Amino acid sequence: MVRRRIVIVGLGALLLTGAGSVVGLRHGSDHVAAAPAAATPVDRAADSIARAQQRLRDVPGDYDSWAALGGAYLERARVTADPTYYPKAEGALRRSLIIHRDGNATALIGLGALANARHDFATARDLARSALRIDSYSADAYGVLADAQTQLGNAAAATPAVQHMLDLRPGLAAYARASYDLELHGRLTDAESLMRRALDAAVDPADIAFCRYQLGELDWQTGRLEAASAEYAAGRAADPSYLPLLEGQAKVAAALGRTGEALAGYADLTARYPAPMYLLEYADLLRAAGQPARADDQLALADAALRLFAANGGTDDLGTAQLALAQNRPADAVRAARHEWSRRHFVDVADVLGWALHEAGSDAQALPDARRASALGARNAGYLFHLGMIELSLGKKADARRDLSAALALNPHFSPRYAPVAQAALDRLGAP
Amino acid sequence: MRRPTARRVGAVTVALGVAFAGAVAALGPIDAGASSHREAPLIAADPAVDNTDVYAFVSPDRPGYVTFIANFIPFEEPNGGPNFYPFATDATYNIKVDSDGDAKPDAVFRWTFHNIDKRGGNTFLYNNGPVTSLDDPNLLFRQTYTLESSFGGRPFHTRIANAPVAPSRVGKASMPNYQQLRDQAVTTLPGGWKTFAGQADDPFFLDLRVFDLLYGGDLSETGQDTLAGYNVNTIALQVPFQDVAMNGDPVRNPNIGVWSTAERPRVRISGQSTGGGGWVQVSRLGNPLVNEVVVPANLKDAFNSLPPDRDASIAPVVARVKDPEVPKLIQAIYGLPAPATPRNDLVEIFLTGITTKAGGPIKADLNSQLNNADVISSSFRPSEMLRLNLSIKPTATPNRLGVLGGDLQGFPNGRRLTDDVVDIELQALEGAAQTGKLVSALAKGDGVDANDNAFSSTFPYLALPNVGAVNKGGGTGAGAQTNAIGAAHVQPQTQAPSSSAAPAERAPSTAPAAVSRPSTHNVGLTIAGATGGAGVAALVLLGGAWFMRRRRPVPVTPPGPVPGPDMQDH
Repeated sequence: MVRRRIVIVGLGALLLTGAGSVVGLRHGSDHVAAAPAAATPVDRAADSIARAQQRLRDVPGDYDSWAALGGAYLERARVTADPTYYPKAEGALRRSLIIHRDGNATALIGLGALANARHDFATARDLARSALRIDSYSADAYGVLADAQTQLGNAAAATPAVQHMLDLRPGLAAYARASYDLELHGRLTDAESLMRRALDAAVDPADIAFCRYQLGELDWQTGRLEAASAEYAAGRAADPSYLPLLEGQAKVAAALGRTGEALAGYADLTARYPAPMYLLEYADLLRAAGQPARADDQLALADAALRLFAANGGTDDLGTAQLALAQNRPADAVRAARHEWSRRHFVDVADVLGWALHEAGSDAQALPDARRASALGARNAGYLFHLGMIELSLGKKADARRDLSAALALNPHFSPRYAPVAQAALDRLGAP
Repeated sequence: MRRPTARRVGAVTVALGVAFAGAVAALGPIDAGASSHREAPLIAADPAVDNTDVYAFVSPDRPGYVTFIANFIPFEEPNGGPNFYPFATDATYNIKVDSDGDAKPDAVFRWTFHNIDKRGGNTFLYNNGPVTSLDDPNLLFRQTYTLESSFGGRPFHTRIANAPVAPSRVGKASMPNYQQLRDQAVTTLPGGWKTFAGQADDPFFLDLRVFDLLYGGDLSETGQDTLAGYNVNTIALQVPFQDVAMNGDPVRNPNIGVWSTAERPRVRISGQSTGGGGWVQVSRLGNPLVNEVVVPANLKDAFNSLPPDRDASIAPVVARVKDPEVPKLIQAIYGLPAPATPRNDLVEIFLTGITTKAGGPIKADLNSQLNNADVISSSFRPSEMLRLNLSIKPTATPNRLGVLGGDLQGFPNGRRLTDDVVDIELQALEGAAQTGKLVSALAKGDGVDANDNAFSSTFPYLALPNVGAVNKGGGTGAGAQTNAIGAAHVQPQTQAPSSSAAPAERAPSTAPAAVSRPSTHNVGLTIAGATGGAGVAALVLLGGAWFMRRRRPVPVTPPGPVPGPDMQDH
């Protein structure tokens, strides 16, 4: 136990270094904004924290401002990837509820958003419903509900929640969720058009960067590398500190064969923000580039990050399963994915569970899960690749040919490690 | 005003610089790896559709014309450089007028904005040299607008396209003569219409701390204009009375109701297409401070979503008007008994207009559509909007307390830029319209009696945008003036409101100087020509109301001249 704590503290220091450099980068961007006569929109999200803090120094009983402060901290946490904003958010939101326990929809919405951030989607759903009982016209509450239902895999409940949000308050937050909902249903053109609306409505630099990143992702998913690259670059022009854009640029560089640039990009990104998701991608790229030892280092870091998340009360068995797969521990991956599946039937979970079962040699069991990942109609090269490989193992050659071809047709660069695997399998399969 | 944070108690006080907690102290219960799922912005800044204030008044310098002003984007910090504030291009901005009292718009004026962006993607510069005209090539980012109108529910017609927007005032070096830019942005249209869109000084003056009492604060620390130094984005329109009066007849039907909205297109994702048609109202505003003092917190979202014709069906809103929170808090803090409920006087002020025809307690016919000669009473629906009687002539000496100060041209009869709506509403909430008792502890109100910048005497009347940081004494160069609008410019044929029935007279003060006590006396106010063609109908307003007069704090800034059209902006 003591030993584990030391590991956690060590990783904590690493994370702190990352967070510090995030702030450093922000200062860099401030420098740009301060150039004479330069005109960038005001970052009101950052401003709102200072405003609420000052307000609460003057009127500590203002529960609305406590709730607003909590919400503002959550937005900062999302944008900056600085985890220290979460306890601050929780403190402010609980303070608001203590001052004003009954009928405090804003605080419940904030706590719901916090629960979503912690992957406690069932709690988030319940908090959103509680908020809606108080204020049935709250678009924000529907936003929390939509996020929770989406991640719980309740697509039939998620879409109406998003529609409520659109009907109550069309704007960036609603458009972004509508775009994601459409994307999950495979309606990529509509998803892009909604994300463009979101971009039109975006004001804060970080919000513009978010929309640009998602537009880039929609391009990336369908193999449009140049368009994706342009969106990521436009996002960085708006907010150079928005980290997901570094991931986008790194994976485009990898797809274009600029491996050195891609590796440098991932090294930079994971130094700033050692998220398991990024570390796993980095490891895949290192492995594809013939650097297995460095790849293993990244996986060890991802493992530490996930342990820290769990030690702090978070639950991410999806991430745990993905890491186990990357470390060639298929039995652990199946166990973790099943845990996650018992909590939520989201398409990503179905996909990872299917792939874990395949890697564990249980292809017959894997097939239904892999099919479930695409049941809503999602057009995702990774899902199709997994499905095709499972079908191949089961001797369903025609199905495998169809789905592996579809994966590569959708995005021939979907993974530096697995796109070549898909191509090789297709080559072996030959023409029908 | 949908995101009530804007002008609501919560979000206020002077903005601090952002003090980033750069150094991280301790790890929280979540690590950096939490986002293996899509996290989209939830509480995104959306100031461009945040409706802050609406004004409607008879134009003091142009008889027969009414002026509407709607402001958006609160707390625009001038900062003299990097900041600029465009109107949203994915929304419409609307001013709506109900002249027959059915709570549905009979006239809609709709602004839609477009960007002309010559920055080319590799510069963020707003301008690359001094901007001396609206089409100056140095102005790299500009906006234009289309103004459309619809009457009686008929299709919209374009009144002007590609009209210029007055830009954000980014500094004296960049815009050496801003008055010139303002003047160029006033567009005159056929039919005598005048329209303006662009940045202006936020004309609202108040100390928002007055609302601290909702959160356990008190009224001892007020007197500072919370909005001094900030700018807003304004749309303004001046049209002839007959264009907005019922049946085009402002003599028979002088009473109108006004509100503004911001709307975005309706989007559907459930069907096969993402289109849908129609518009979604994202913010709405009629009477000032309605989100603060009338609508309960948990109904603000509903209120901002609904059209006025649904107001009467939202029982909790009506209930809150009849049983408001503020007087109870004042009772708790100051021991002043809250007026007896139900507060049907407030129903008149906020929901029906002041009229004897709806069974309310205020024995006067001031500004309800029910008083229009051609009204069909059975179609009338109580609704929250700013009501204005167009037949009341502008006065040369406006009283900031409006109707409560014996000046029938002011709030709650419409709203002029100089009306001190906080003090008026506080007194109204304490029952000034019903009981005749003024609250001495509230006599000071919020302690802010006038805007920090003088208004102009001509359309669009607003002071030029502030330059310089808010906390460093920016300003527009135009000093404060309590009764600024057109004091010297009121047309000769205008009559002063006939408040002469009982001249104000001062009772001995027994209160300490610091908290001056209003003196009181009976006053019978008459409303000239308030009802159709009948000449002067003498109506007793507020059945024995108390006229209040009190000491006025010395303005921080000495009164300055009214800026003329040729006044330089530096």
